[in-house]
Amino acid sequence: MFRYSFIVALLLPFSALADAPEGYPFQAFDKAMKQANAEAKLMFVYFGRYGCGYCDKTNKEAFSDPLVRQEYIKNYILAYVDSESGNRLRLPTGERITERELGTRYNAFVTPVFSFMSPDGTIVFQMIGVQSKEDLMNANNEVQKALKKAGAS
Amino acid sequence: MKFLIALSFLYLFTLVSTALQAQPWQFVSPIPVTEAAKEGVFHHLESAGRRNIAVSGHTVAVAWEDDRDGTPRVYLSRKLANAAVFDQGILISGKGEAYEPGLISLGDGYFAIAWEEDGRVYARIAGPDNPGPVYQVSDKLSTQVSMTLMHGRLLLVLREQPQRFGRIVLYELKVNDRLKLSPVNNCAVDPAPPDDDQLYPVISVLNDRIVVAWEDRRHGHTIIMANQSQPDKVCAFEPPTRISEKPPQDRTVIYGTGHGVARVALANYGQQGLYAVWADKRNFQEGYDIYGAEKQGGQAFGANVRVQDDFGGNYRQWHSTVAGRPDGRLAAAWTDERDGNMDIWYSWLEDGEWSEDLPLPGASGPGVQYHPSITMDESGNLHAVWIERETVGGPSRIFYLFGAPE
Repeated sequence: MFRYSFIVALLLPFSALADAPEGYPFQAFDKAMKQANAEAKLMFVYFGRYGCGYCDKTNKEAFSDPLVRQEYIKNYILAYVDSESGNRLRLPTGERITERELGTRYNAFVTPVFSFMSPDGTIVFQMIGVQSKEDLMNANNEVQKALKKAGAS
Repeated sequence: MKFLIALSFLYLFTLVSTALQAQPWQFVSPIPVTEAAKEGVFHHLESAGRRNIAVSGHTVAVAWEDDRDGTPRVYLSRKLANAAVFDQGILISGKGEAYEPGLISLGDGYFAIAWEEDGRVYARIAGPDNPGPVYQVSDKLSTQVSMTLMHGRLLLVLREQPQRFGRIVLYELKVNDRLKLSPVNNCAVDPAPPDDDQLYPVISVLNDRIVVAWEDRRHGHTIIMANQSQPDKVCAFEPPTRISEKPPQDRTVIYGTGHGVARVALANYGQQGLYAVWADKRNFQEGYDIYGAEKQGGQAFGANVRVQDDFGGNYRQWHSTVAGRPDGRLAAAWTDERDGNMDIWYSWLEDGEWSEDLPLPGASGPGVQYHPSITMDESGNLHAVWIERETVGGPSRIFYLFGAPE
């Protein structure tokens, strides 16, 4: 396991080329999944790709908003998946998969795709394409409302 | 509604008519390469250029990675062409975590295998008996290796990342006593220092020129680029050129700096031809399609062509692999979701155009069939391997299919 972590660490510069928005603690999907399980929190998974126009637009016009940043960092474990990359991930089943293959598994062919996922990787809500800060805030509000309702019932 | 019904009939008619049309190969039932799928064991066929199967003399070999003992390792399994089953396979990699093995034939039952292990690229030769010693190709952080032969020398291209950006580097190795490798030369395929990442190279030799294609991010998005050497010179490359074209429409907002492309594969065919195929997202709403471009002799790669047929246009295709022969045969295969699940479909070049697509017999139907790798032997037989799983995310197994020319 240590050896695997070592390789992942070696490959970190590869993932640094991906287009996650600045100022957010986005991490690799498998690490985010572990953390989400440990903290019993939802994941917010951003499927992007290098050079994706709508990803850039969403980063600049929506993720740059301080309130969006505050809510998403507070409420979710953040994961970024470069859906073209060969970065390796290890899923809880033991399966080794690349970020590209993970993207196809979650149908992230049209980027960006933003998925709210339970810690086991089940999508609970998804947004496809460019998003405004209002879209992101509305989605956060709906997801949080649903979580509260589920917790109350 | 009438239009949809008419379209459905047209689709059915085309399926029936293409099923009846003459295929260039007559296939037999697929056979397993690996043991029955086991919970927690996952196989991977994902070498740069999708070269996981090769034929050498009368021997067919398959190289893959799996984690049967908890660690990803590289294995090689072989069978004689007329044998009904593959052997149990041998461990090729060492003690480290090994990935993405590539394979080529050296002739007379010998194969070269190269792979990444603990972040470095290694290679070794497997003969009819025991394999030769493991040779460390690169001492730098390296991955994604592809191989070819030129004048008896083994040529490897790989992605090396000593600094911020990965770059494609070529290594020339000498084969000693049929089983031992020793260094001769190495150089960057694009001599200019990289100003962005270069990934997933694949190499071929065409008329004494080395041709290398790879994914390149110098334009702020991923494109396919290629470079060729001067004739008979290993480390004298011309300036690289772009293979994947920019779509004609100006859709900057949609594409950003450009649309996505991924994982180029190369195959020689005819006396002068080299064909590149890759996954291409220019029609982004349907995910990737398979595109290709041909190169004749020393000329640059020509116009991009959509390899799959019109009926595949509304569905996703990826994992493209291509194989050819000097007699002009050329076939491409890929993962395709047009029937609602992942199957292997294929097409062949017919009078200069790609044929209607067909599902590869035995590599389609319920469950998941994906990650194909194909090759053709000297007799024009088509050999294919792929990964099969009952469910997405479930345990896996590798299957092999043989097709004899009609």
